[in-house]
Parts: sequence; structure tokens; C-alpha cells
Amino acid sequence: MSFLNNFLGTASAVESASVRPRYETSEAAEAYLLTVYLPGVAKENLEITGEAGELRIVGRRAWKQPDGWTSLYRETGEEPFELTFEHENVVDLDAIRAELRDGVLKLTLPKAESVKPRKISVA
Amino acid sequence: MQGMGIMRLIQYSYPSTRYAAALGDTRSPWTGLESEIDRMFNSVVSGYSAALGGARHFPVDFLEDKNNYYVRAELPGVTREDVGVEIVENSLTVSAVRRQKSGEKEDSYSFSRSVSVPDQVQSDKVAAAYENGILTVTLPKREEAKPRKVSVSVS
Repeated sequence: MSFLNNFLGTASAVESASVRPRYETSEAAEAYLLTVYLPGVAKENLEITGEAGELRIVGRRAWKQPDGWTSLYRETGEEPFELTFEHENVVDLDAIRAELRDGVLKLTLPKAESVKPRKISVA
Repeated sequence: MQGMGIMRLIQYSYPSTRYAAALGDTRSPWTGLESEIDRMFNSVVSGYSAALGGARHFPVDFLEDKNNYYVRAELPGVTREDVGVEIVENSLTVSAVRRQKSGEKEDSYSFSRSVSVPDQVQSDKVAAAYENGILTVTLPKREEAKPRKVSVSVS
């Protein structure tokens, strides 16, 4: 899939102790679609930064174990989620749309003009 | 805080309904943990079978404070109506359905986990809330199970 070729895997982590969230990618004609699972992350704790060649998503969990609570068994973590993609400017960074709902982030990454399919009419 | 959905807990008697599940990944990343959880909580992992598409686990926490026990479960992207919380005797079961639309057809995956809850829970007062993809079940302790502070005067 061209998405994976152009929009390659994760780069270095900025957060010292972060975990990589589960995510899914797909491609539509006009945009790449990225779904990231960020349980426990509220809108105000989510940072999405797009710079040339890099898209970074950092989500901090809203919940911390309160004082006076004893943990009998824990499987969930408290580390922030971090996901960084490198890409070759195939995305129109100004037009990214993001929606966070029930711990799932849906990003629509419109393709840059240069990678959109072009119809060439034959004279 | 954005809208906290408080769900009322319904106590069922068996048999409880099972959701029809689509085929899914049969290898669970939690395989090793299952025995660990069984050992620690005497929990029974139920609500699924190989025939239903295999285990689809989600992380759970079990905590307590003076007044309550808490079960937290990471269930991102599940609508409230698709989250089920049941207590049957001393077993708390959290079940959920994840629906995924791909074009015309919708796939649904169901998964559930059960934990044994201590006897001193007031099971008629259990409450659950779902926020940011995390389900929190609050299980109040009976009065007699709460730690009591007795001040003893030293003469």
C-alpha cells in the first residue's frame, strides 16, 4: 500500500516513557485515514503536531490512581501514548482533521496535491 | 469533565445472552496473563469460546479504597449501549461489542472478562461509568467490611 511506503513507521520517541498505541491505517482516494486507540485520553490531553516530514501524536491519560486507592491488580499503564510517523510530504498538513471520541482518535490526512491520482485525458 | 454516562447495573440470572461474534484473531496477547489473573483473583475468563472467534481481551484493573472496590477496563471506541456489566453471585462480567464499518458491511466483535468480587460487596449498589474509552465499575463495600477507626484512650 502506498500509504505504508510513503508514510513510514514510527520514529524516535520524545516522551521518556511512552507506549505506542494500537493503530490502524487505511487509504481513500483523497486522504489517508488513521485510527489510533487512546483509552483514557481526553481531548485536552491530546497533542497532534504536524511538521514537515513528521506527524506526532501524544496522548496523556486523564486518570491517575488517586491517593488512598490501593491497587490490587493492574494491567493498564499510566504512561503517555506516543506515535510518530515520518512521511515524505504526502499529506496536506494544514487540512488534517481529527476527531477524538471514547478514546479513539480518527485522523483524516488529506493527500497532498502531488500524490493525488490524476486523470490524464487522451487527446 | 465531559458527560459521564452512568449506567445502571442489571442483575441477571443465568443464562445470559451472548453476542454473536464475527471471526477474529484467535491468538490473544493476554494468553500468559490469563493464568496469572486466575491465580490472583480466582477469576474465570468467560463469555467467549473458540467457536465465537476466540478471546479478545482488554486490560482491566482492580483497585480499592476505604469504601469501594473498583474495576477499570480499557474499552476504547465502544458505544455505551454495547457495554454490559453483570453481577451473578460473586462474579462480575464486563462485556462489550466493537463494531467496525468497512463500506457496506459491519463487522462486530464481542469480548468479555469476568472477575470474582469479594463477598463484602453490596451488589445492588454497583454503578458503572464510561468515559474516554474507560469503563469504571464502582462496587461499594458493606458497612461491616469498611475499616473502622476506634480511638482508644491511653491512660
